[in-house]
Amino acid sequence: MDYRAVFDHVFGIQLWIAGGVFVLVTALLVGAIVLNRARRRDKLPFAAAEHNAVEIGFAVVLGGAAAFLVWLSLSNNHALDYTDTQAGSGPQAVAAGAAPVQVAVTAFQWCWSASYPGSSTSVTGSCATPGDRPVIVVPQGRPVEFSLTSRDVVHAFWIPQLAVKRDAYPDHVNSLVMTFPDAGQWLGRCSEYCGTHHTTMDFYVRAVPDDQYQSFLQTGALPGGATA
Amino acid sequence: MTATEPRVPHDEPRPVPRRTRTTVLSWVTSTDHKRIGLLTLGTAVTLLVVIGALALTMRAQLARPQMTVLTPERYDQFFTIHGSGMIYLVMTPFAIGLGLYLVPLQIGAPNVAAPRTTMLGYWLYAGGAVTMLSGFATSTGAADHGWYAYPPLASTRFTPGPGVDLWIVGVALAGLGMLLMAATVLWTALVKRTRGMTLLRMPVFTWSVVATNLMTIGAFPSLLVAMGILGVGRVNPDLFDENIWNIGYQHVFWFFGHPVVYVMFFPFVGAVAEVLAVFGARRYFGYKITVVSLLAFAALSMSVWGHHMFSTGQAENDYYSLTSILLLVPAGMEYFGFLATLVGGRLRFPAPMLFALAFVPQFLVGGLTGIMIATPPVDYQVTDSYFIVAHWHYTLAAGSLFGFFAGFYYWFPKATGLQLRERLAKAHFWFWLVGTNVTFFPMFFLGLEGMPRRISTYLPQDGFGTANLIATLGSGLLAIGTVIFLVDVVISIRRPRRAPADPWGGFTLEWATSSPPPPHNFDPDHPVPPIRSYAPLLDLREAAR
Ligand SMILES: [Cu+2]
Ligand SMILES: [Cu+2]
Repeated sequence: MDYRAVFDHVFGIQLWIAGGVFVLVTALLVGAIVLNRARRRDKLPFAAAEHNAVEIGFAVVLGGAAAFLVWLSLSNNHALDYTDTQAGSGPQAVAAGAAPVQVAVTAFQWCWSASYPGSSTSVTGSCATPGDRPVIVVPQGRPVEFSLTSRDVVHAFWIPQLAVKRDAYPDHVNSLVMTFPDAGQWLGRCSEYCGTHHTTMDFYVRAVPDDQYQSFLQTGALPGGATA
Repeated sequence: MTATEPRVPHDEPRPVPRRTRTTVLSWVTSTDHKRIGLLTLGTAVTLLVVIGALALTMRAQLARPQMTVLTPERYDQFFTIHGSGMIYLVMTPFAIGLGLYLVPLQIGAPNVAAPRTTMLGYWLYAGGAVTMLSGFATSTGAADHGWYAYPPLASTRFTPGPGVDLWIVGVALAGLGMLLMAATVLWTALVKRTRGMTLLRMPVFTWSVVATNLMTIGAFPSLLVAMGILGVGRVNPDLFDENIWNIGYQHVFWFFGHPVVYVMFFPFVGAVAEVLAVFGARRYFGYKITVVSLLAFAALSMSVWGHHMFSTGQAENDYYSLTSILLLVPAGMEYFGFLATLVGGRLRFPAPMLFALAFVPQFLVGGLTGIMIATPPVDYQVTDSYFIVAHWHYTLAAGSLFGFFAGFYYWFPKATGLQLRERLAKAHFWFWLVGTNVTFFPMFFLGLEGMPRRISTYLPQDGFGTANLIATLGSGLLAIGTVIFLVDVVISIRRPRRAPADPWGGFTLEWATSSPPPPHNFDPDHPVPPIRSYAPLLDLREAAR
């Protein structure tokens, strides 16, 4: 549920593989260009137009690479899944009974609001004004479940620095469970085009220690101190 | 790419049959696949320039924070028409039109099957283009909902005005036109092959077009259904009060939307394969495995659409990730053919070869990042960001368009009987090689740093300024390269230099006939040579040695 950690892990492995493949292909290409110029060769290096054993061997290698990448994709996607992590016992596993904190987030043209079930506290603001953007407060270190919905068109809830994104639909609630290992404040953006002021549909998410979070729920006053 | 008959004589000893009428009317009512093909390609090149200019304007706006070259509303119209125009009106017609021009020649057929239906396909496409673009002439401007037009945003409740109506009609017309054209070209390849041209002797390019047209026939009906759903929503926006119609539209749309990506890619794989073999002076390596890969790729492409929907929370992410990553197997086999042909060749480097060579690593960047975004934990971060913009501009602009230009420079002498100027062509190449990378590579970083796609401006404190400035400078290089390309075409028409029947030492049947080919492609002066493999002219040369 720590999206950033999983993203860094998977993306890091994929970058190495992609870089290796790119260097290999480009090296073959440049090597052929340098060595095989017609001016320097009057005969073909080899005449065969096919070689079934090599071709099938290469297809098997590609199949193996695909199998590894599928495993990398699916296993890490499950590491992000709250119900799966509850069942498991790995480093991502969450202690039983740690029910996620509920935060209801509503997108609309062109801003966001948040409310906290069981509390009269709610959050909104003016997204186009940097100083008045809504600040969605969450507790640090506990799983948080965002229930995302929209009042009008499709929007998307994106926190770039935390590598997480989920769409918000009208007539549908998407659940996004994640943890905030550190206290801090991050910029959030709408990433699904939603009309004229999509550009400025920005917000903040602020993670604070649990005691500050509790007093926020009671008073509605923004806890200070946390900075990005 | 012009409606004038080349004014130069052929270099053949005896006069060939002439087209009797060369008026505009004779072109627009032609039933000759070559003329319909050239009309399609010429229209698409014209629109490439127009719709590319929209992108340049957007790049100008994004060069610095908080610039206003365009109002936000205009900006939204521009990215919508840029994206949808490039896909529906430029790249797809390039792909299918190139097949229309070349497939009958490559299989030794006198014409396309059902030429009148093919002509209708062109007119539907041209009508669709005019309809879509005419939105700019309305008081509220052109459509501004993005190229995939998600409801409810695309309904009359959130986007009133005739621009969207015109867009829906235009997309449906152009889509239907391409569907008809793909069907007749596929039918041609299946039933109109000349004596000796068995399926496994069809050139790689023809096979790539067969796979393309199979996908078009499988996918484009779904586009028409999607436009139908939007059309109902224009009349009754309450339709989209229910989630099922919103998410349902996305499924129907992407069922079309993923295969179309390969429609805009396969014929250029085929063109690059032909060019690499001819300028490597050797038989294409791995013909059979390439054919199998193309067909497997096409079949698999119909099962991957949900990878566009990982962040919707309403798709089977594991399944779509699995099928999408499996695509690397046929794609890798195609690359095997490219590289083995090059490694075993004696290489020459005229302009078509340069574009084909650059296609290989540049498209690879798009392919490798494609595997990343087929992985949900990565896609959750990068989807709908500039990383995606970079990814598929590497596949389309830095990839497919290089394949297109390789084909353009390779077949232009055949189609027109005229030679392009090699130095201008090479200048075009270098501007585009540098320009595509300077424009699109910084966008990967912008996406990772949090820049959403489709924002008309950004704030100084966002930190997007430097990378955007570099990208804008790169787009200037692309503009210069494009001007050089157009100048080259104009010069070669105004100061014609005659092209011989086979300027490059080609392997396939189109090089056995005159440049341009006679009305029925082959005639007693230019008979179809005997065919014993997928490289019949190479066979003749080897036998004569
Ligand atoms: Cu938005
Ligand atoms: Cu796709």
